[in-house]
Amino acid sequence: MAIKKLAFIVDKLPYKAETSRLAFTHAIASQTVEIYLEDGDNVEPVIALVGDGVLNAVKDQKALDIYGVTSLEMHMKNALLLDLRVLVCKEDMDRLGLSEDNIVMDAEEIGGELTTQIVPFEEIMKEMETADHLLYF
Amino acid sequence: MKLAVFVNQYDEPAILDRLKADKFGIILVQNGVYHAAVKQNGQSSAILSKDAEFYALQEDLESRGFGSAELDPKVKVINYEGLVDLIFNDYEKFLWL
Amino acid sequence: MGKLTIGCFSSLVGSMTLDFAVKLAETAVKKGHEVDLWLSGNGVMLGKTRQSKFRDYSYLAGTVQELIKTGKFQICNCEACAKARGIDKEDTMEGVLIHSMDWYLASAFGADRVLHIGGE
Repeated sequence: MAIKKLAFIVDKLPYKAETSRLAFTHAIASQTVEIYLEDGDNVEPVIALVGDGVLNAVKDQKALDIYGVTSLEMHMKNALLLDLRVLVCKEDMDRLGLSEDNIVMDAEEIGGELTTQIVPFEEIMKEMETADHLLYF
Repeated sequence: MKLAVFVNQYDEPAILDRLKADKFGIILVQNGVYHAAVKQNGQSSAILSKDAEFYALQEDLESRGFGSAELDPKVKVINYEGLVDLIFNDYEKFLWL
Repeated sequence: MGKLTIGCFSSLVGSMTLDFAVKLAETAVKKGHEVDLWLSGNGVMLGKTRQSKFRDYSYLAGTVQELIKTGKFQICNCEACAKARGIDKEDTMEGVLIHSMDWYLASAFGADRVLHIGGE
């Protein structure tokens, strides 16, 4: 029985490219990867927003209303609902003037239990070190 | 960990300075090869001052009109075969920046 | 010999990133390794049938077909990304698989090395 850890690291801004959106949807696909694997094997994803990528976490995104596309906020809440760990780099939040009040911290309103973790970049480096593979978006 | 990052643009990825690894390689591909081949105002690219092993993809250099002789001496030229060997033998994890 | 999983989300023409991915895959297979190539986002264009070979445009379909024949190379289009772009099963090159994103994660699970190349 093996669990492989995949770190999804996002440093791109949302909407101008589909990169960060695909990071979330691919990480969420971990929910069904078992159908391809041997019994007991699985993938453990962790999502980390770094650099300008922390702006994917900003609250009150209205992309769905305006452009008819799901927002990164919605994807982030889905990830939290499905118990995927979502880390946001503290130093980059500070650099961009963001705080807990500005970003998606939980998905309580849709029944999610996990909260976003604001962590120093050092912690994100540790996640990268312990991951089996890195997927940098 | 043994980490190699692919730099594919002729700019300096912001995350580069923050990465730490026991063995760290910077592989210059696509427009990233300009870091190895071009000096601006007589100065080498700032990327080359990082604490890393440097590699540049021969096929991308030659596509852009540069030969090995014009490169910064810090940079080792590798072709696709050499790159495959680097991936399987020298490094374990990869970031495409 | 080992297995390399490549995820490439870049479009077929313009950035030449798919050219890089296919050339890397080809070289790895020639050296005896196995390669899985996952295409998502704009990368699904590579899986489309009826690509024309013009010298001003990247043409990778031929190389992809030869690689599939080796039996050491799998290439898979993201079903949702492809359908969103009007690429259905009948528009997909023979030999190109079509699966959802979990296929890529499963491929990464079994790989010795993973190179994820994001999109533009």
